[in-house]
Amino acid sequence: MSNLDHGKFTRVTTLFHSLLGLDVFLLFFTGYAIMFNDELWWMLTLMGGASGVTAIHRITGIGLVALVVFWITLQVISSTGRSNFAKILPAKDDVDAFIQDIQFVLGRVDERHPSARQFAGYKADEVPLLSYIGKGVVFIFSIELTLLAISGLLIWSKTGLAAMFQTKAAAMAFVTFHGLLGVIMLMGVMFHIFEHGMHPAFYPVETKAFIPRSMVPEHHGDDDEEPDTTGIERLSLSPSWRTVSTVFGAMTVIGIVSVLIGSIFDEGYPVPREIAIGGGPSSILLTVGINLGMVVLGVGLVLSMYGNVLRIRWEQQLEQEREPTTAADGGEPQTDGGQPESDDTEN
Amino acid sequence: MTNTEDLPEVNGYSRVSVLVSAVVGLVVAGLALFWAQGFRLGYESLYRVNPSVEGGGIGADWVFGNTIPALDFLIALIHAADVIMGAFILVMVFIHWAAFQRLAGQMRDPGEDVGEAVAADGGSPAPGEGQGGDSS
Repeated sequence: MSNLDHGKFTRVTTLFHSLLGLDVFLLFFTGYAIMFNDELWWMLTLMGGASGVTAIHRITGIGLVALVVFWITLQVISSTGRSNFAKILPAKDDVDAFIQDIQFVLGRVDERHPSARQFAGYKADEVPLLSYIGKGVVFIFSIELTLLAISGLLIWSKTGLAAMFQTKAAAMAFVTFHGLLGVIMLMGVMFHIFEHGMHPAFYPVETKAFIPRSMVPEHHGDDDEEPDTTGIERLSLSPSWRTVSTVFGAMTVIGIVSVLIGSIFDEGYPVPREIAIGGGPSSILLTVGINLGMVVLGVGLVLSMYGNVLRIRWEQQLEQEREPTTAADGGEPQTDGGQPESDDTEN
Repeated sequence: MTNTEDLPEVNGYSRVSVLVSAVVGLVVAGLALFWAQGFRLGYESLYRVNPSVEGGGIGADWVFGNTIPALDFLIALIHAADVIMGAFILVMVFIHWAAFQRLAGQMRDPGEDVGEAVAADGGSPAPGEGQGGDSS
């Protein structure tokens, strides 16, 4: 028995995560194509040039506003949201977990701190709702998404900007701010994809964010047999993990470094702090690197979709497992797939 | 028996909360759209900032046009944030990459799972039994 598959998120959270991911990926692909248009000229062309790409960016931007406001409201008005908030506040354990991760890498300790684990391994109660990385992702992404949404709306509303600053330069400064802020998010999302896709126990994708905890049975076997360890030693490594994780890890690092260099080098398109002459790909290496970063995002999009496919498969499996139980109650299993009592009250 | 009786107790979000939040989200997004579109199209075309696909030039008046030092500072600040956060994120990638390597080292190698332990007992390998579903 291993306890590696404890779900942690509710169904609403998993659906929100998928929708937010899809929206943010679209925002990245369009925003990325605008900011690094020298290196990603083909993306810009594919999405309909300057007007097409900005149109998609704005539509998905409005989607982001809706999603962000929905989530904030839900956290405030629901008791679940309010109680979860206390659980995701940074604590001393999170600092300890970060330090222990470094020690783990150096071989000084044998296990990762519970607050660093992406899976349970122990009783679900003993493992925090989010690892320290998860908490960081929530806080950093929340701040960034809010700032990006506000600055994006300001860029969009030229009348609003004009009323505030009265200069065209101000509008362009906000474009730069928006783009450079997006680069931080971009780098963070690349890490997020690597972290949840390349964990050897979950490769190719951690299902925690896709399969809600209401669908995950917490006891697989003998209740007396509570594991002493995380149970990872019982798992087999996927044959392709070493190769894929090495290649993908390299792509993630190259992507992050290239985007970082690009943001400095480009001085944040389209407002150079000094007059920029020329254009076009400034460096072959930078062009390749930034395109690799785009591939990393593409893989993230595919993994997000794959996570949802796994959830659907899991749902079907649960349905099949329950059907004989229904028949054993004396009734005839005439319904195909439908449950006699559908209990959808849980979200 | 409900179809979730065998599943763990879950403290989920109530439907009312979700519905109210969805309505609020959509209304605010609609208002944002209404505001962002503006009322005077003249400004929209006047201040439009398009990607300069066909060459530089846009922004050339930045140095001359900017009369607000705070904006210059803001951009310098976000540049610094990019570099600092980028370096931090890279550190996190390397720590996790290395941690994953160690975790992988604790796992069974591909094909190793049914070999040693079961064979030593004299029994035949029974894939999947007692493996927590991860014996493939």
